[in-house]
Amino acid sequence: MALKNRKGNGTNGVDAAGRTTAADDRRRAVASARQERRARSPYSAMHTGPGRALTAVYGIFALSATARAGYQLIREFDVAPVAYSLSAFAAVVYIVATICLVIGNRTSHRIAIASCVVEFVGVIVVGILSFTHPEDFANPSVWSSFGIGYGFIPLILPLVGLWWLALVGRRIRTA
Amino acid sequence: MFTVYTIMLCAVTVVLTVWSIVETIRNRPAGKALLGASALLLLLLIVQLVLSIVTFSSTHDVDPLLYFGYVITAILVVALAGFWAFAELSRWGPGVLAAAGLTVLVMIERLDQIWH
Repeated sequence: MALKNRKGNGTNGVDAAGRTTAADDRRRAVASARQERRARSPYSAMHTGPGRALTAVYGIFALSATARAGYQLIREFDVAPVAYSLSAFAAVVYIVATICLVIGNRTSHRIAIASCVVEFVGVIVVGILSFTHPEDFANPSVWSSFGIGYGFIPLILPLVGLWWLALVGRRIRTA
Repeated sequence: MFTVYTIMLCAVTVVLTVWSIVETIRNRPAGKALLGASALLLLLLIVQLVLSIVTFSSTHDVDPLLYFGYVITAILVVALAGFWAFAELSRWGPGVLAAAGLTVLVMIERLDQIWH
C-alpha cells in the first residue's frame, strides 16, 4: 500500500473529481499516529525524517562495528588486546546510542548525549594515541587515526548526533 | 574472486548510491524503481554468498568467519536499509539507502581483498 503513494510532494490526496482518496486517509492516519507517538516519547529521533535517517546511519554503523569487533575478539584478540577491546567497547557504545535515539524519554536522551560524548572523546584520544604510541595501536580499531579506516565517520557521526540531540532538547524546552 | 561478478556488484551499488543521493536532493521518497534496484542488489549479494559457499574449497588462506561475516553483514545492511526506505515516506528513505550503499561498496572492496 505504501508503494501507491510514492509520488513525492505533488499529491494532495484529492483526485480529479475532488474526492478524497485512500492516500489522504492514510496520510491522516499516519499523522495522528505520529502525534500520539510524539506525546509518549518526546525525545525520540523517530518523529522526523532527518532523525530517522540519523538513527538508521547509527544502526548501520553499530552493526558493522559489532561485526568487526566480534571477529577481532574471536580470532585475533591476542595480537592486540588493547585495540580490540577498544573496538568492542566502541561497538557497544554505538549500539547504546542507536537504542537511546529510538526510545526517546528524558533518561535515554541523556544516555544518548553521554554516548556521543564518549564516542567523540574516544576517537580524539585514540586518534592522538595512535600517532604518539603507534606500537600499541598498530592493528586497526574503529577509532585509530581518527577513524581513517572508516572514512572519518567515527569523527563526524558523534558531532552530528550531539547537534541533533541538542536540537531535539531545545524543541522540547520551548514547546 | 570472480572479478567480473565483483565489478558488476560494484557497478550496481554505485548506481544505487548515486540514484539515492539524487532522489534525496530532489526531495522524493523511494519509488518502486529504487526499491527494485535495492532488491536487485540484495539478490546479487545472496548469489555472491551462494557462489562463495560453492567455490570456497578452491581458495586457500581465507578465514571463513571473516569472509562470511562480511557477506552476511552486507546482506543485512542492504535488507534493513531497503525495508527502511520502503517504510519511510520522505526524502530520507533514499538518504538511508545512499548511506547503506556507501557502506556496502566498501564491504565489497574488502571482500575482494580478503578473497585474494
